[in-house]
Amino acid sequence: METMNRLGRILMVEDDPRDVELTLTALEEYNLANEVVVTRDGEQALDYLYCRGEYKTRSGDNPAVMLLDLKLPKVDGLEVLKQIKSDGKLRMIPVVVLTSSKEEKDMVASYKLGVNAYVVKPVDFHEFVNAIKELGVFWAVINEPPPGSVRK
Amino acid sequence: MARPNLQLQFTHSPVLRYGLGATSFAIALGLALLAQRYGFRNVEVPLLLFAVAVTAWYAGPGPAALAVVLSIAFFDYFFTEPRYTFYVTSSDIPYLIVFISFALLVAWFSAIRRRVEGELRQARDNLLIEVTERTQQASLLNLTHDTIFVRNMSDIITYWNRGAQELYGWAAEDALGKYSQHLLQTVFPAPVDDIRAELLRTGRWEGELKKTRADGTQVVVASRWSLRRDEQERPVAILETNNDITERKRREQEIQNLNHELAKRSTELESINKELEAFAYSISHDLRSPLRHMAGFTELLQKKVSSVVDEKSNHYITMILDSAKRMGTLIDDLLAFSRIGRAETKMTLVSLAQLVREVLTEVCQDTEGRNIAWKIGALPEFYGDRSMLRLVLVNLISNAIKFTRTRPQAEIEIGCADGNSDDLVVFIRDNGVGFDMKYVNKLFGVFQRLHQSDAFEGTGIGLATVQRIIHRHGGKVWAEGVVDSGATFYFSAPKPQGHLWKL
Repeated sequence: METMNRLGRILMVEDDPRDVELTLTALEEYNLANEVVVTRDGEQALDYLYCRGEYKTRSGDNPAVMLLDLKLPKVDGLEVLKQIKSDGKLRMIPVVVLTSSKEEKDMVASYKLGVNAYVVKPVDFHEFVNAIKELGVFWAVINEPPPGSVRK
Repeated sequence: MARPNLQLQFTHSPVLRYGLGATSFAIALGLALLAQRYGFRNVEVPLLLFAVAVTAWYAGPGPAALAVVLSIAFFDYFFTEPRYTFYVTSSDIPYLIVFISFALLVAWFSAIRRRVEGELRQARDNLLIEVTERTQQASLLNLTHDTIFVRNMSDIITYWNRGAQELYGWAAEDALGKYSQHLLQTVFPAPVDDIRAELLRTGRWEGELKKTRADGTQVVVASRWSLRRDEQERPVAILETNNDITERKRREQEIQNLNHELAKRSTELESINKELEAFAYSISHDLRSPLRHMAGFTELLQKKVSSVVDEKSNHYITMILDSAKRMGTLIDDLLAFSRIGRAETKMTLVSLAQLVREVLTEVCQDTEGRNIAWKIGALPEFYGDRSMLRLVLVNLISNAIKFTRTRPQAEIEIGCADGNSDDLVVFIRDNGVGFDMKYVNKLFGVFQRLHQSDAFEGTGIGLATVQRIIHRHGGKVWAEGVVDSGATFYFSAPKPQGHLWKL
């Protein structure tokens, strides 16, 4: 498929396996799941971005988009966001916060740190699938990612 | 006092003064001649000198000089040889000179003594006047309620007014002559030497002191010291004025304690509020996730098996999905409700008329196909948080729309009712299903519903939210209803005054 060839890599940071499964299912439905890298906490996500630890050997390209949960073990989502946006090399990665929290506090904090989009996971599965699909399509397909991102 | 007055009159009249000189001389001369007639010898000199002395004493130098001249002349005339002439023989000259010298000496001494006595009298009079004045001043100081005492530079009390006696319980006779620091067991706010240094430098000092009464109780006084210096600018005494501020200090302390207590409670409340916030935050994050998973996987299951399982199984799956959805709405509403209590309010003057128009545009999307007659009256301006007031109107108007659903011709009226002079009252009236006044007190409770959920959907949070917002605005909410003929909801708030009222 044409879209498959142009699909950017999605880095997903999500600690809950059920959310991972649901998200991947939603992305699969639209053939967007193949280039998804799943990291399970903030530290792992940063390891991936900085090519260290278990990701030592990967090629150093940045993902086309990062789907970031806020409530994460070890290093939480806001901390990860802060590190990315204050690093000259990582700053350009589009970051979408994907969270259960509708709290204004989290939203304000995220935007202050320079998040590119803030999405509250809908409880309704249809809405959830639509949201994930639109996110995937927009960021991994429609959006022209910054130079240095992985494109298939 | 009579004597000095007589003396003054006497000395001021020259006729009397010279008359006294002449008279005393005449009496002395008469007595001397009488004594000579009866053979007494050498009496004339002392008599004449006595007359000179009396004149000098009582009538002053002028009459004394007259007496001296007369005495010399008549002494020469009557008592020196040759007698009855003013002629003076050379042998009498020394005698005459001695007499003249004595007469002048007596007159001179007399005059000096007189002058000294006059000065003394003057000094005594001045002293008397001063004493009178001082006594009057001292009795004035006794009149004041302030505590005043004077102590010398060795700290010994030299004056003690009645105020001091009243405050400290020591009578003047007990206090005078005592060391003030010992008597009153003064506690100073700073080293005594520093206080003394300031007093000597500026002539004043003031501060709060603790002192002990005769009965052993302690008083706090606002104390003012003034330094008195003598003509050579040497410090001689300290005037101390004290005012009893014990009660004031006690109240200040009380207020301070209350403030402290208040601050403590406010900190406690703050921490409780923080906990609640954390709780709400946790609900928002953690309660929603499993719900989403339940809904998600159930839906995936539905997709997979709906064609192979029977109708009942499909129905169960639908029920699970509905419940999950409903719980999601409940959580959202509950969070919104808890947010009202936590959110800060931004108070402005809000036009209710405009706000109602906005809300109607929003909620009327849900009224397609409905036949609703709107009646919007004149609406006042409210002083409040715009977004919160909007939420109030959204809830009340949505309710009116919802509960008139069964009416072929729904009527909804929004208007301003007559409140008292201080409050604005707004009402929203509908001709819907109404409610039983028996349950009116349940209307505004969280999760309280008066209708079955399959008849009218809802979470039972809307009216609780309305009440919470209006309470935060200092107003009241209430409702009237009749089963099957409609309901009226009222909310009130203080009228916007010139001043801003607080939430």
